[in-house]
Amino acid sequence: MARIIRGSLAAVLSATIAISLSLHAQEFKLGSKTVQVHGFGTQGFIHTNDNNWLTMKTSNIGSGAFTDAGVNMTMQLLPNLRIGGQAYDRKLGQLGDWHPQLDWATADYRVKPWLGFRGGKVKTVLGLYNDSQDVDSAHTFALMPQGVYPLDMRDATLSHIGGDVYGTIKAKKYGKFSYTGYAGDQIQSTHGGYPYLLTIHGIYITKSSGLTYGGDFRWQTPIKGLLAGVSYEENEVTNTGNLNPSIALGGPDIWVSYTENSDSQFTKTIYGTYTYKNLRIDSEYKYFWRHFTIFNNQFQAMVLTHAWYPSAAYRVNKWAEFGGYYSHFDTDWVVTVPGQVEAPSESDPSRHIYDKVITARFDMYEHWYVKAEGHFMDGNAAGTNPQYPDGFYTQVNPQGLKPNTNAIVVRAGFSF
Amino acid sequence: MKKLIASFMLLAAASFFAARAQAQVIVIANPGVKATEISKSDLRDVFTGNATSLPGGGNVVPILLKAGTVHEEFLQVYIGKNDTAYRAGWRSLVFSGQASMPKSLDTDAAVVEFVAHNTGAIGYINRSTPHEGVKVLAVK
Repeated sequence: MARIIRGSLAAVLSATIAISLSLHAQEFKLGSKTVQVHGFGTQGFIHTNDNNWLTMKTSNIGSGAFTDAGVNMTMQLLPNLRIGGQAYDRKLGQLGDWHPQLDWATADYRVKPWLGFRGGKVKTVLGLYNDSQDVDSAHTFALMPQGVYPLDMRDATLSHIGGDVYGTIKAKKYGKFSYTGYAGDQIQSTHGGYPYLLTIHGIYITKSSGLTYGGDFRWQTPIKGLLAGVSYEENEVTNTGNLNPSIALGGPDIWVSYTENSDSQFTKTIYGTYTYKNLRIDSEYKYFWRHFTIFNNQFQAMVLTHAWYPSAAYRVNKWAEFGGYYSHFDTDWVVTVPGQVEAPSESDPSRHIYDKVITARFDMYEHWYVKAEGHFMDGNAAGTNPQYPDGFYTQVNPQGLKPNTNAIVVRAGFSF
Repeated sequence: MKKLIASFMLLAAASFFAARAQAQVIVIANPGVKATEISKSDLRDVFTGNATSLPGGGNVVPILLKAGTVHEEFLQVYIGKNDTAYRAGWRSLVFSGQASMPKSLDTDAAVVEFVAHNTGAIGYINRSTPHEGVKVLAVK
């Protein structure tokens, strides 16, 4: 068995290298205009000592069900008007499951440096890296700090169908100020972490969407390399689907329609980043609140999360970079389904994940890299009534979750 | 003591030659670009995808060198990043739909040729490379 897995991994890595070595950015002409084609792909492997993680069977030997890829085309129609789109697909254990999606498709018109517009399906600017969290080749870490950028919530937070207004204003000796304001429909994938989380209760989401609006404001300070910013987002999400109570409670097999509405849902972030030569230091704090009702206000639930991290990365030379971060995540909830259920204290493993991470990244060729990462996690934030997906699920841990988890993550990727 | 003095002299000489090498990079633009000079800050914005025009008016398109000492010096002096971090920044923009990837050319001569014939193009080359047909922008 181990031989087969080693063989498969070697085949995947060889294919990745072959693809990356043979692929370069492509472009072709459409009339008098040039169309650029770019793409990326990654293959990961995760081994954990105890709990299964990220909906994969990562304990025992480990799992390589961690693949994603994207390809985009862009064209500069006018000097200040650009159009483009990107297709994306992923398999992360039970998530994504090879359902391709239109990642973004935008028209971007920049009138002045201080005023631009984007419309279509647009990546949502929220915190330092929300809009670029998929771009693994641009990041030091194999997994972004999971408290702030959970892989399993990627489908819910990444984009909106609507419009952005953005710009940058220079303030001479005070640096530069950049802003983005947006509004639109946040259509969420039914193959993400939240729909998967609900299946343990016998709930199967078939549609998830709603109004979202927010903004980001960042300051490039006069201190060279230092940037600070804040983001805020409101969501009015409605999830609809079907519920089979027998799956969670037993009894006759009955299907009823299911609806949940977010009465109040918002995210606040504050962040900073500092770059000095080959050293980069980031830090972010994220607060998420959701109060939602189920079955026309018959039941209510509230969930809030606090997440923050400091990270540091140092590039030793062209080929090697090393880094680490500490990711703090804690969650609190109250559910009135049925009766009132409250969360235990934060010190309970079901309320938090404190993750210490060290990473080495190697850029072997111009378009190809590999990362190796160690995670040392205290807590699993997966109690009996979890309302927020955070990597650990009872569905793939039927034997029960242990309080601590250590993980090794190896991720190779290419981009062109 | 003599060794210490020798070390300092060597260091000073290295700094002197490094400074001379940095001075070898010049910024060129298509003759249609209105500006005759550009601030370091504006240059950094254009070459990091944060701006597509110059304060004097007119859209500009950055043109890169693929590699080499001129490229490394340009990044070090004007952008403040190494090549890996610089390319990573562009990938973030390109794969999140916020920019098109700038064209990267193999040689200084190819940059001169492209900049000379494409409206709004702006690039960088070694000062000693013949650069007829383009204008040199003073960096302030």
